Amino acid sequence: MPEHQISMVLDLNKCLGCQTCTMACKKLWTDGDGMDYMYWNNVETRPGQGYPRNWDKIGGGFEDGKLRPSEIPTKEDYGQTFEYNYAERLFQGGPQAMPQEEVRNTPNWDEDVGAMTLGENYYFYLPRLCNHCTNPACLEACPRKAIYKRAEDGIVLVDQERCEGYRYCVRACPYKKIYFNELLGKAQKCIFCYPRIENSEANACARQCPGRLRFVGFLDDPTSAVHKLVHVYKVALGLFPEKGTAPNVFYVPPFNPPRRGSYGKSVLEDPRMPMDYLQYLFGGEVIDVIRRLEGELQRAQNGSKSEVLQLLIGRDDQVRYQIPKHGDLIQLPGGRKA
Amino acid sequence: MRFLALILAGCAASLAQTPLDPSAAEWKSAAAVSLALNRTPPLYSTDAPASLDIASVELRLLRGAAGNFVRLEWADKTHDTAAIAKAERAWQSEQLVKQSDATNRFNDACAVMIPARPVVGDLSPSLQMGDAEHPVRIFLWDAARGAAIMEASGRETTKRTGQSFPAQGQYKDGRWTVTMQLPAWPEGTPLAVAVWNGSQQDRDGRKYFTIWFRPR
Ligand code: SF4
Ligand code: SF4
Repeated sequence: MPEHQISMVLDLNKCLGCQTCTMACKKLWTDGDGMDYMYWNNVETRPGQGYPRNWDKIGGGFEDGKLRPSEIPTKEDYGQTFEYNYAERLFQGGPQAMPQEEVRNTPNWDEDVGAMTLGENYYFYLPRLCNHCTNPACLEACPRKAIYKRAEDGIVLVDQERCEGYRYCVRACPYKKIYFNELLGKAQKCIFCYPRIENSEANACARQCPGRLRFVGFLDDPTSAVHKLVHVYKVALGLFPEKGTAPNVFYVPPFNPPRRGSYGKSVLEDPRMPMDYLQYLFGGEVIDVIRRLEGELQRAQNGSKSEVLQLLIGRDDQVRYQIPKHGDLIQLPGGRKA
Repeated sequence: MRFLALILAGCAASLAQTPLDPSAAEWKSAAAVSLALNRTPPLYSTDAPASLDIASVELRLLRGAAGNFVRLEWADKTHDTAAIAKAERAWQSEQLVKQSDATNRFNDACAVMIPARPVVGDLSPSLQMGDAEHPVRIFLWDAARGAAIMEASGRETTKRTGQSFPAQGQYKDGRWTVTMQLPAWPEGTPLAVAVWNGSQQDRDGRKYFTIWFRPR
């Protein structure tokens, strides 16, 4: 159990699916050899196949305290990494720029497809990164003890010296957020931008997000937005809580407006997306959270002030990020341990 | 511990050139011993045990001034190896990077483990990579990544030394033959062999292993 736990809350109602976060992360951390297929941060359309394909349906995590069996995704499950025939197109008068191989799957393959209920299409964007779990299945599975969780902020890291590329971690992670670099023979994953965090600077994915939907801070810091959203207002939930890893990335679930023509009805009365899909992702508690959010919305519509909605607007960096200097962490005021 | 005993032929004088070539003439005169292979139990209680697809490994040994030459031969229906590009520009930008080809393949491999310190009498180190008082050295050959010397003093302590050793592998007609040139060891030193079958997702402790064997 770390002394402090850094955390991120993402308000899914504000995500544009623009992938700016994905590219910020890619440019900063995963543009090296062997990392081409890795997106430590990815944004997937839900309902949808996800990245890697079907990651949510292949097990991992814990069951009765034991590692639940799973699989190592193939490279095609993650998505092919292909080049275009630019030289042919530009210098040899080829007809059009085309991928150099037959493309069967890419990380964002089914963008904006979603699903239908009663003749109406619905979908939302789900940005994903390593959850820096309190009970990381990746760490549990590693026989070399190459994965560790930092005491000072709970960030989960892979010791690149000790790692032998066995990929038990890839198999164990229920979110498939730890990757294998075949060239280096090492597992690699989101480092929660720890060099930035150590400098009181928010993660690149958060800072670059035009939707301003990411909140970063310490869960055990009662003054932080993440603490308030998760523990005080209780409007943010982890993904797949039943996978047993206790994720530390939380989501304000999509508010789920009523269907067209049902304006004014409660979102639980005639929801645009089936409630059981949201329950599948966020667990049964999501219904209470949506009720709470609806209550806040009504309050605001009736002219009262909603602290929760004010906070979720996340006007500026000061509102969204509370990242004390590492040296000051020890003085976090009376917060409960994460 | 029960030991297999064997008189191994081969003498220093005949080693004019290194018999690293698996089909070198020297190997014809070296007696072969067949060592039974066992499967390690699953690492996690939730995993099914792996099947024993490879029953045994054949060991030949030539002792000479240049060290000991070991030749391992075993039947493996699947040839699990890949040409893996060397990462050179990791963590650099603005260049086309080399790609990982696959994420879920594992390579065939084998290893010879010997005690790092001279053994006393009949006592052999723990088969699980020795222990703190009885460290071991492991000479690992991987079909894709080549040879590497590792050290260990107990389970989960295996560490790369950064050193390599001369080795050659050949896959023909459903059989692997791997030759290794290892440093000389004192008379009576036991050795143990491990074999990994990539298509059975073998790596690390998920492998085939022999018990200690004392060449005489
Ligand atoms: S999300 Fe996966 S990789 Fe990240 S800490 Fe949890 S189990 Fe490990
Ligand atoms: S940058 Fe922000 S708005 Fe754009 S996809 Fe990422 S999380 Fe969504």
